[in-house]
Amino acid sequence: MMRNIREGFGVLMKSASTIALAAALIAVCGCDRSGPAATAVAATPQHPDFSGIWFPAGRQQDPQRPEFTPGAAAAAAEYEKAFTLDDDPGRYCQWPGMPRAVWGAPFTVEIQQRPQDLTIYWEGYGMYRKIFMADSAPPVPPLPSAMGYSVAHWEGDTLVVDTTNLKQYPYMTRQATSSAAHVVERIRLEEREVDGKKTKFIVNELVVTDPKVYTAPIKITATLRHRPDLQPLEYTCTDALWDDYLTERGLSLPDLDALP
Amino acid sequence: MNKRLKGLLVAALAAIALPAAAHHSFAIYDMTQNIEFDGVVETLKMRNPHMAMTLTVANPDGTKKTINFVEGAPANMIVRLGLNPADVAPGKPIKAIGAPRKDDPNAYFLKAIILPDGHRYNAVGP
Repeated sequence: MMRNIREGFGVLMKSASTIALAAALIAVCGCDRSGPAATAVAATPQHPDFSGIWFPAGRQQDPQRPEFTPGAAAAAAEYEKAFTLDDDPGRYCQWPGMPRAVWGAPFTVEIQQRPQDLTIYWEGYGMYRKIFMADSAPPVPPLPSAMGYSVAHWEGDTLVVDTTNLKQYPYMTRQATSSAAHVVERIRLEEREVDGKKTKFIVNELVVTDPKVYTAPIKITATLRHRPDLQPLEYTCTDALWDDYLTERGLSLPDLDALP
Repeated sequence: MNKRLKGLLVAALAAIALPAAAHHSFAIYDMTQNIEFDGVVETLKMRNPHMAMTLTVANPDGTKKTINFVEGAPANMIVRLGLNPADVAPGKPIKAIGAPRKDDPNAYFLKAIILPDGHRYNAVGP
């Protein structure tokens, strides 16, 4: 089991090179700290605007190897008997969901911010998430979901987001979480110097608590870099699945592009 | 996109290329190998989460065989690295670098594409 956990976190460690690059940059906080503390008011000019096109720029995690509860350790042992790392839910277009989406695959992340909510589009897997301001939040949905139910408030220049109502992600070598998982994010803007240019970064400090799966909270810092130069692309994840189905059935589609 | 900006983008993406492509394990491939194939693109599937390609290559005796690259970089990632899909369309000559599956030596992971003008696009690492 530990081998696979190590391999899984090895991917994280490979991300460390990117984190190191980001850490090497000089952080210049241009945050506006004039906002009221611990209020539930919607975004106003004194609050940061996270709207824009962003790109993952690394993450750090503590502990790097979270300890499973005895029940989760037993589940992981069984999982490892049957599954390999190649049994990848992502290959079959399963959303990583929260909290895994936050550090994300290397594709654009588009955020649209309104006074009452934030809408986030991940190019990778075509994921979509709503974060509602507390004074505008609808009722908890009747079904748990990959992104869960997120309610936010401002604490000064920091958006504090509380996420529950997650469906379980039982892939034990891939940062598994149960439906008891609770994610608290503290999201803020930073301005850093990149190649002599001031560049915006979103810094998201998460705490993932899942008493069914982990013995202690997991702290993660994920960073997104502002990339207005990047154009989000369509990511239709199911093409390969459909191609495989056609192959299995011995079917071939006409190539309309080959027509004169 | 100006040349400097493109260079920065390529550098930035290269820095994350490995974890990017590694959304699943490459354990089924012998990634220590870098087998080069010069050939002509037969089929191309520019898709996510992984592109796929077949390449027609010539045997020493003049006969031809098809090399099956069953997986490669995500299409979105490799076009952001600058690859123009038209340069790898069926009929185009390229050099491809592959790593074979451990359980099927006729199936490869497409590690890199090198165009006739020397431009190289890596799916994993520099």
